[in-house]
Amino acid sequence: MNNKFDALKDDDSGDHEQDQGSPKDSEKEKPEEDDKEQNIIKKKKYKKTTDPDGPGEHPLQYNYTFWYSRRTPGRPASTQSYEQNIKQIGSFASVEQFWRFYSHMIRPGDLTGHSDFHLFKEGIKPMWEDDANKMGGKWIIRLRKGLASRCWENLILAMLGEQFMVGEEICGAVVSVRFQEDIISIWNKTASDQATTARIRDTLRRVLNLPPNTIMEYKTHTDSIKAWEDFHGLVNASGGR
Amino acid sequence: MSTGTKQVKSCPIPTRVLTLKDWSQLPDCYSQTPGGTLFSTTPGGTRIIYDRKFLLDCRNSPLARTPPCCLPQIPGVTVPATHAHHTGKLQDLKEEAEEEEKDIGDDSQFEMDI
Repeated sequence: MNNKFDALKDDDSGDHEQDQGSPKDSEKEKPEEDDKEQNIIKKKKYKKTTDPDGPGEHPLQYNYTFWYSRRTPGRPASTQSYEQNIKQIGSFASVEQFWRFYSHMIRPGDLTGHSDFHLFKEGIKPMWEDDANKMGGKWIIRLRKGLASRCWENLILAMLGEQFMVGEEICGAVVSVRFQEDIISIWNKTASDQATTARIRDTLRRVLNLPPNTIMEYKTHTDSIKAWEDFHGLVNASGGR
Repeated sequence: MSTGTKQVKSCPIPTRVLTLKDWSQLPDCYSQTPGGTLFSTTPGGTRIIYDRKFLLDCRNSPLARTPPCCLPQIPGVTVPATHAHHTGKLQDLKEEAEEEEKDIGDDSQFEMDI
């Protein structure tokens, strides 16, 4: 896993005052014009992946992408239309870039209709079929209305801050707004890795402050696919169930 | 416990002695761990770990407040909804924006900048 700090090192080489600093070293008051200029310069270069914009920003262990999806009620669902309905909002590589997006997005508790936010590592699509998700599963937590905004925020802060401590296993998180309940979930790569799924569950309990008696359920994606196919009256390629 | 061990040659920690005539001559790296203290080291390698409080504190920095450059305009998600039956929601968003402008210093968890 390449260390994002190396990317920052190059940016900082000209600045003798930069102390490659600690998180406690909060904010160097950079004048806004410098940042804007840097942003403009960065945007003109073709970049394959996002980088932190400059000195003073705190890099994340991974880059992430926000996605949004919404299903029009009554429209029949299919895996193709799922891919079309889901839209990227943007990608980020630093704590500050994350806040720029998050502060300009509505809270999940205020979303209408059948909508979802997804926050996944850059390069992993928030779909069962993606290679990273094929053998994976997710913990799901059903919440009564009113809790989604707070729980979603705590969940993604824990994910971005690497609180789960399961190596590369985390793929992403989803918050789903539904008719009478909301659901948050966290996806990992290997459903059969019980040490990982147990550790994720324990971290969820610690970071989410859930109401007592909240049920957490682990579902493998292959089970979810089967359930979806049964519900829609489909059969798989072999013709059996 | 130590009966079977071999003698290992000891080696002093490398140090450098500077004589300073003034506090301003103190080097920038004095009292810092070489390589900085940004990253936590965990078994298996170095990971970048931030706790919740630190992440929330970063929200108030000037670097975190500018709108992202290519935010897609999605009504009801990234911009106020304009559709007729969303006017209720639009009103709520407006009211919220006014409230939040009054409390810029407040780092409540639900603050949203529009």
